Amino acid sequence: MASISFRNVTKRFGDTLAVDDVSFDIRDNAFFCLFGPPLSGKSTILKLILGLEQPDAGEILIDGRPVTHIGPAKRNVAMVFQNLALFPHMSALDNVRFPLVERRMPKAEIAAKVSAVSEKLHIGHILHKPPAQLSGGERQRVAIARALVRDPAAYLMDDPISALDARLREQTRVELRRIQQELGKTLVYVTHDQEEAMSVADGMAVLRDGRICQTGTPEELYRSPNSTYVGGMLGAPAMNVVPITMASRLSVDAAPRGADQLGVRPENLRVGVGEAGTIADVEPMGAFTTLTVQAGDTTLRATLRGQPKYTVGQPVGLSVDPGRAHFFDEGGAALESARREEERT
Amino acid sequence: MTDLTSSLPTETAPEDQGKSESARLGFWLTLPTQLLVLFIALFPILMQLYISLTDWSPLDGIPWYRAYELWIGLLNYIDLWNDPRFWGAMWRTCIVMAICVPAQFLLGLGLAILFVDEFPGKRVLYSTALLPMMVVPAVAGYMFFMLFQSGGPVNNILSFFAGSPVTIAWLSDPNLALFAVILSDIWQWTPLMFLILLAGMVSVPQDQQMAAVLLGASWWRRFRTIVLPRMKTIIIIAIAIRVIENFKVFDNFYIMTGGGPGVATETISIHIYKVTQQDLIWGYVAAMALAILIVLSVVSGLAISRMRKAS
Amino acid sequence: MTEIVLDNLGKSFGDFTALKDMNLTIAQGEFVALLGPSGCGKSTTMNMIAGMLEPSEGQIRFDGKPMNGMPMARRGVGFVFQNYAIFTHMTVRENLAYGLKAQGVSRAETQRRVGEIAQLLQLTDLLDRRAAGLSVNILQRLAIGRSAVVEPSIFLLDEPLSNVDAAFRAVMRQELKSLQRQFKQTMVYVTHDQLEAMTMADRIAVMDHGKLLQVGTPIEVYNHPADTFVARFIGAPGMNLLDGRITGGDSGPVVDLGAAGHSGPVTAPGTGPVIFGFRPEEVHPDPNGPIQMAITMVERIGARIILHLAEGPHVAKAVLDAETQVPDQGGMIRFSVPAASVRLFDAQTERAL
Repeated sequence: MASISFRNVTKRFGDTLAVDDVSFDIRDNAFFCLFGPPLSGKSTILKLILGLEQPDAGEILIDGRPVTHIGPAKRNVAMVFQNLALFPHMSALDNVRFPLVERRMPKAEIAAKVSAVSEKLHIGHILHKPPAQLSGGERQRVAIARALVRDPAAYLMDDPISALDARLREQTRVELRRIQQELGKTLVYVTHDQEEAMSVADGMAVLRDGRICQTGTPEELYRSPNSTYVGGMLGAPAMNVVPITMASRLSVDAAPRGADQLGVRPENLRVGVGEAGTIADVEPMGAFTTLTVQAGDTTLRATLRGQPKYTVGQPVGLSVDPGRAHFFDEGGAALESARREEERT
Repeated sequence: MTDLTSSLPTETAPEDQGKSESARLGFWLTLPTQLLVLFIALFPILMQLYISLTDWSPLDGIPWYRAYELWIGLLNYIDLWNDPRFWGAMWRTCIVMAICVPAQFLLGLGLAILFVDEFPGKRVLYSTALLPMMVVPAVAGYMFFMLFQSGGPVNNILSFFAGSPVTIAWLSDPNLALFAVILSDIWQWTPLMFLILLAGMVSVPQDQQMAAVLLGASWWRRFRTIVLPRMKTIIIIAIAIRVIENFKVFDNFYIMTGGGPGVATETISIHIYKVTQQDLIWGYVAAMALAILIVLSVVSGLAISRMRKAS
Repeated sequence: MTEIVLDNLGKSFGDFTALKDMNLTIAQGEFVALLGPSGCGKSTTMNMIAGMLEPSEGQIRFDGKPMNGMPMARRGVGFVFQNYAIFTHMTVRENLAYGLKAQGVSRAETQRRVGEIAQLLQLTDLLDRRAAGLSVNILQRLAIGRSAVVEPSIFLLDEPLSNVDAAFRAVMRQELKSLQRQFKQTMVYVTHDQLEAMTMADRIAVMDHGKLLQVGTPIEVYNHPADTFVARFIGAPGMNLLDGRITGGDSGPVVDLGAAGHSGPVTAPGTGPVIFGFRPEEVHPDPNGPIQMAITMVERIGARIILHLAEGPHVAKAVLDAETQVPDQGGMIRFSVPAASVRLFDAQTERAL
């Protein structure tokens, strides 16, 4: 059990700033997700936590204790690899025992630790099988058991399910979340899939070019992104970000001073009768339908519930759910919406 | 942290620069080993270079390291330049190479084309086709020696077709002897060419070939525009290996003809052997060895630069 | 544009039957998706249309002409491979010109047509670049352009988006669809991703274990799945299927779900065991709803909430708007399913009733 904190951590590789003055706190027992595109610094942060890399500046704390200059072996954090990296020629049991056997721990102690961890992960009944005979979910559990058998303070995962197909990913992420809830250990998780990040995490950080753009719960980040970048990274289809001049066409008023761009999530864009734009594409998905609307030079996407009937070329009116417009300044930073200011006063 | 040591995904590309500190430490730690390896690899060559500048011979009664007492500078190299027997051996080596390597390449490519597709009995034929390569070269030489005896099977078969007895003295006629030894080399080393080319051909992506066919490409066009270009690197490797190996042919040639009749089949390796064992002028041999080393280095250098270009 | 008829098509490899009794007519200019899990026979079907495989049974006809035995080069089929099979040792221009050269088209004509297709696919600036190292969306365009330039009457696409990043797939889907509109060729698209099939195809053919289970427009297949496999396979998450029993209720027959309660009134042919199906997004939280289940997990994904539900032997999912007030994990939820959204399946055959 451990909390993990970064205090102004910077890591340079030659001229490249891989991690740029990053600070965050991961509380004990959190399922914390580092989310960002490739090369945004996610994996470097994992390596810094593990101790495989040394920061150039700043401090890393595990459980409040500075570990910046402590080697990986003494940090007591474990890693589950992307492809799980189970040894195919060993049984699940031998896989789980492996880290302890390597440490020459007494046999009785090994047996006790293995049985404790396999009970927690419900894998007692499959320990005799080789990895090839296990299902994907079981293999995941065995790999986690192997990482946890040494009783680490926290465990880390680097994009563990990105290789699976869509349906299996949906199942596995629920499974992962269940495991983490049952184990109650700090899990730091790297992914580039926004749906996965929001589904599993109870805290997350959105990264860009080695900097943290925003941290918070997935809901906070989704509801109040602090920039067009964060707004665009979360949600599919992505948030529509249009020039503020479109506001009147979308019947949005009360834009705050300095607003330069308007952000509207596809599910908050209402499509009705009018002439604000024309339908350019209709994508039926069964439960909902995504419309692509051409409004002047701007292309907008709207997600509607169910299977409404629209045809390509049809003129439509557009509006935004009350209070659901996001405003950004020229640089893309979020401005307080008029509604939120009202609420405050 | 045994489960931690393998590589993490390399998100951070410029890592190498960051590791320069540990790289420097690594360099110093491995320096003794590197020096040892260098010494083992270079010593014989440096020794050759040293000897080649002297008139040293084992019969002189002085140890090799005192060969400087017989220092003659570049005289061995000048002699070599003017030695018709050396150039003759070089020339014959080139002839052998000019016939063997293309023949092996074309035959090997043909076999590879046959074997890249499935057909019944492929496994057995495949093993059979590779068999010559496994034969010890000396034994191969002996086999061909037998085949080309004047009363041997080759003449027997020719007699059968000619309808009258044929008694060609294959191995004592200067031109025919060269032909016979070349044949033995082609027989023995076509399988290696085949093996390498087949490996290259199998690795040409199937879907690209299929795409070419679906776009209407004939077999020949597909072969010429997709298969061959994608095999470029492996073809260069295969040919380079055979060219270099051709400087080394010895066993079967020596057993079949001993380099004769006269010097008709005396390639460079046989020539060196003779000079070493019979003439015992080792300074001269060392000069010859270095000259060949330089030729071969140029050949492999060319091959490597070609390969770089191809990929 | 060509009409494709698959007439009683079958294929076996030794003892293994990869495809059985496939009957499908693909109209001129239609975009049909062959959808199913791996091993369902969709790729076998496509490879037979392309001519890479010979059918063991039945016939393939293009515009009425039997294709059995016709070599693939003469079928007029454009094929886009899963990894695009771009000739990486050539330039973009050489790739595009490959088919024309192979078919002996004159140099001037080749140049003109390559120029045209490059313009259409926005590849003009890249014509003299080597194909190796191009980004995946450009590779896709190039693969389509390379096939399209020889003007095939049929386009076959073999899971072209399966190697593409999730975030990028939506962009590629739209691009593919607009390309199909431009070329107007008959398109057959193989995929295991129901979302791709739903959003792009005119009609979907759902397959499993070498059999064609259902053909229809995306909405038809979604709304009226022919059996439980289709019901589960289409939609994300798929349809909830609960084992129940039809009993007589106060206001007509209902499906008794044991510990989870019962459904609202249904129109049912009789009584007895039945599979009760409803879409996760048709779950309507309702304090007086007849169905009650425990919440085992709450997934909040932006605009949606996915509830994972369980009760007795039943498991189900519910998809709700992010604004909906829901109990926490571990709580109970009561809900109803509108009668119009209920789908019943035979408990034995698992076919729709």
